[in-house]
Amino acid sequence: MCGENDFNKLALLLTAVFLAGCTAAPQDEVSVRSAEVGFAVKAEPARTEQPKELEKAKAVETEKPAAQSKQAANPINELNQPGITPEKLSIPSIEVEADVTHLGVTDTGEMAVPDNGDELSWFSPGYRPGQRGRAVIAGHVDDLDGPAVFWDLTELEPGDEILLSGEDRELRFKVHKMESVPLDLADVDTVFGYHSSPELVLITCSGTYDYDRGTREERLIVYASLVQE
Amino acid sequence: MKKLSVSLVAMLVLFSLLASLVMADNHGDMAKVRVLHASPDAPAVDVYVNGDLTLEEVPFKTDSGYLEVPAGTHDVEVFAAGTEYAAGEGVLQADLEVEAGKAYTVAAANLLESIEFVVAEDSMEVTEGQAKIRVGHLSPDAPAVDVGIIGGDALFSGAEFPSITDYAEVDPGTYDLEIRLPDGTQVLPLEGTELAANTVYSVFAVNTVDSLEVIALVDYEAAGSPDEMPTTGLGTPEQSQSMWLLIGGALFLVAASGLVWRKRFQ
Repeated sequence: MCGENDFNKLALLLTAVFLAGCTAAPQDEVSVRSAEVGFAVKAEPARTEQPKELEKAKAVETEKPAAQSKQAANPINELNQPGITPEKLSIPSIEVEADVTHLGVTDTGEMAVPDNGDELSWFSPGYRPGQRGRAVIAGHVDDLDGPAVFWDLTELEPGDEILLSGEDRELRFKVHKMESVPLDLADVDTVFGYHSSPELVLITCSGTYDYDRGTREERLIVYASLVQE
Repeated sequence: MKKLSVSLVAMLVLFSLLASLVMADNHGDMAKVRVLHASPDAPAVDVYVNGDLTLEEVPFKTDSGYLEVPAGTHDVEVFAAGTEYAAGEGVLQADLEVEAGKAYTVAAANLLESIEFVVAEDSMEVTEGQAKIRVGHLSPDAPAVDVGIIGGDALFSGAEFPSITDYAEVDPGTYDLEIRLPDGTQVLPLEGTELAANTVYSVFAVNTVDSLEVIALVDYEAAGSPDEMPTTGLGTPEQSQSMWLLIGGALFLVAASGLVWRKRFQ
């Protein structure tokens, strides 16, 4: 009996070793690179416009001492934060520079992506970058020839800057969270949803390749918050 | 000590330290809560949720933005900024019940000596192409007021301290609004107010009546969302990887059949 147990263990061990060997095969580098990624910055500063308003109020006071209890500007209009139509994105820390196209949804309801590995797509029916809410930009991790524009997205670290320009303005975002989420568990409403300050979300593919579905099993999602100038 | 870190924060910036709440993965059971400091003579405050320092040094007229918290009942307690936490010793405490998928404004209102919470559920939807607005009367010594078009109809009538009205849906556009007494006397002009489409606003009248002012917040802005995540890889891993899978599978079969043979020969 004892001998049989040992044999069973050995057989299982061998199987395990070979199976492990194949999932970690260096041929599928995307899967290897995204296997252990993810972070979240613990202290997330919440929005406050108080200091800015105080300064403005002070400035107005010195200019017009007469206008005292009345507010200088209409505070409702100060909420206007339309954001930009993005044209170019750059991430200096991983040397990404790419054009941003504007796409919507595919026939099957997916967020549409460019047909090449060089460009990025902004989900234009969603929030605009710089507007309150999460603006989403997607890019391919690889193409038929190898690495594509978001190949190195897994290398991002907390605090890395993402620069997004359009309409003669440049917005600066700072990375605060990264996660690789199984496709079926991805909470689309949250990823594309409202947030009380402007955020930028970058998406690419991660995880092992699922030959049945013809796509990778996970999505790498990077969250960055707008640095208010 | 938490107090130490509090004193290290020099700027009047709110830091959410409740990482476990804010970063929780299970969004399906989450609610949104924002805190508004509307007590004119109260100092900046620290807010503890279930005993954890969640917001620090929130000054008068400031809001936290929405924080994600799990649905359920939470012990929310307010202390003067920098005060050491002791359960039940705060200037203000409430058991706040929040439902999944809903959003709430929790305002600390009234003068410090009689500080109180005013809680309202916030709208996270708006008819496409419309704007939505409501007002909160959080000025402790101001009389009941109307908010309406200058020389025109009232949008909100008889708002009293402390209360937050229901929302009114209006066409987007520019409105000459005012806060006025029911007899028509203007209290505060809000001329040229631009209300954008697909946007939900809350406008709070705060401070004492002699220095009445307005805090405006956006509760929600609507935008499109896809049904599914994008497919962001054009390549497929090298065929040699499937070779590895085949080899692994074959070895598995060999090993398994080995087991069967062993059993047969027992």
